[in-house]
Amino acid sequence: MIEPSITLPTMIEPASPAQTRTPQQPAESARAAFNVRSLSIFYGEKAAIRDVTIDIPEKTVTAIIGPSGCGKSTFLRCLNRMHDLVPNTRVEGEALFYGSNIYAPDSDPTIIRRKIGMVFQKSNPFPTMSVADNVLVGLRLNGVRKRAVLNQRLEKSLRMAALWDEVKGDLHKPGMSLSGGQQQRLCIARAIAVEPEVLLMDEPASALDPIATMKVEELIRELCTDYTIVIVTHNMQQAGRVSDRTAFFYMGKLIEFDATERIFSNPKEKKTEDYITGRFG
Amino acid sequence: MLMPRHILHEFEHALDALRADVLMMASLTDRNLQNAMSCLLDRDVEMCAIAVVDEAEIDALEKKVDAEGINILLRFQPVASDLRQVISAMKLSSNLERIADQGVKIAERARSLAMEPMLDDAVALGPMFVEATTLFRDSVRAYADADVALARGLNARDREIDAMNRQIARELTGCMSRNPDRIEDYLHLLFIARYLERVGDHAKNIGEDAVYAAEAEDIRHIKNSLVA
Repeated sequence: MIEPSITLPTMIEPASPAQTRTPQQPAESARAAFNVRSLSIFYGEKAAIRDVTIDIPEKTVTAIIGPSGCGKSTFLRCLNRMHDLVPNTRVEGEALFYGSNIYAPDSDPTIIRRKIGMVFQKSNPFPTMSVADNVLVGLRLNGVRKRAVLNQRLEKSLRMAALWDEVKGDLHKPGMSLSGGQQQRLCIARAIAVEPEVLLMDEPASALDPIATMKVEELIRELCTDYTIVIVTHNMQQAGRVSDRTAFFYMGKLIEFDATERIFSNPKEKKTEDYITGRFG
Repeated sequence: MLMPRHILHEFEHALDALRADVLMMASLTDRNLQNAMSCLLDRDVEMCAIAVVDEAEIDALEKKVDAEGINILLRFQPVASDLRQVISAMKLSSNLERIADQGVKIAERARSLAMEPMLDDAVALGPMFVEATTLFRDSVRAYADADVALARGLNARDREIDAMNRQIARELTGCMSRNPDRIEDYLHLLFIARYLERVGDHAKNIGEDAVYAAEAEDIRHIKNSLVA
C-alpha cells in the first residue's frame, strides 16, 4: 500500500516584540520628573486646586481627567508657572522638578518654561511666520544663529512631530496655511525644537478631526520615549489610549492617581468610578 | 453598594436589557436541565423532545446577548464596572449555552435509555444531578446578586462533582461486567455522568465571571487551594 504523503503545516513564528512602548507597560525608569507636595492654587480668595500631592514619573504619559472646573488645567499650568501671568494668583505648597522647587524665589520662570514646554487646545502658530520660522522662533529667541544648527533642528523637530514629510516642500509657506491637525503638530514641533524635558498638553486634540486626533495621539506615544508628557483631556477614551497613568481631579482635589489600566478597569474611589462610567450628577 | 444611574438613559437601558436577557437565558437553561433529567429518571420521552426544542431558544438568546454586548461596546465604550458587566454577560451566555448543550445531550441519551427496559442503576445519577443543578443555580445567583463569597466557594463544590463522576464511573464499569448485555445502556449513563460533570465545570466558570464582574479579580486557573 502506498503511504499517503503528509505535509505538516508550517509553524507560526511568534511575533517579535513591538518597537515602541505601549501604554500600561511600565517605563524602564520610575524616576519622578515632578514631586508635587500639598500644592494649592488660589485665584484671589478662591482655591482652584487644594492640597494636591502627586509624583509624576519621567518619560511616561500622565493624563489628567475630571469635569469642567475641577482644576485640571490649573494644575497643568502650575507645572511651568503659567499662572505667574494671571493677576491675584497665589500658590501654596511646592512643585519640585527633578528636586528643585519651581516656585522657589530664585527660580527663573523663563528657564522653567524652556524645560517644560506647553501645547494648547487651539493650535496657535504665529500668523505672520512661515512653517520654518514657527518651529525655530524659540531657538532664535534663545540666541541660536548658526544656520546649520537651525536647519538640523528644524528637520529633527518636524520629523519628531510627524510633519516633515507633509511640509518639507512648503517650509516657507505661512504656518497658518496648514490644516488644523498640521497646525497642531507644528505647535508640537515648535515646543520640542527648544529641546524641553517635559511637554504639557492642554486638550491638544479636542479641536481636531478623528484622523488628525489619531496622528497627535500616535505622536504622543512616540514622544514619550524621550519626554515626560502630561496631558489634560476631556476624552476618557483618549486618556485610556495614550496614557500610562491617569489622575482624576474633582472640585480642585486629586481624587485618585493610578495606572491608567487600573483607573479604567477597577478604580479604588467610588467618585472616580461614577465619573468615568457617566454616573455623575 | 447601590450605584447611581447613568446620565445617559439609553446606556442604562441597554445594560439592563443585557442583564435581563442573560438571566432569562439562565432560567431557560435551568428548565432545560430539569427536563433532561426528568427524561432520564422518570423515563418521560415527551420531556426529551421539549429539552431538545428549547435549546434553539437558548441558542438564539446567546446570539442576542452577544449582539447586545457588541452594540454597547460600540456605542457607549463602557469602562470599569460597566465594561466588566458587558464582558461577563457575554462570557456567561457562552457558558449557559454550553450547559444547555449538555442538557440536550443528556436528553438524547435518556431517550435512548427510555426505549429499553428500565435500568435500576440510572437512579445512581440522581444525587449527582442534584449537586450539579444546585451548583449551577448558585453560580447564577452569585452573578445576579454579586455574591462574591458564594462564587468563590463554587470551585470546591465543582471538585466534589468531579469526584462523584469518578465514583459513578467506577460503579457503572462494575455493572457492565456483571450485565454485559446492557453495556450500551451503561455507556449512556457513563456519558450522562460526564455531561453533569461538565455542567459543574461551566457553573464554576460562571462563578469566576461573577467574581470578575463584581470585583475585577481574575480567579481563573489559580491553584485551587488559593481560591477555594
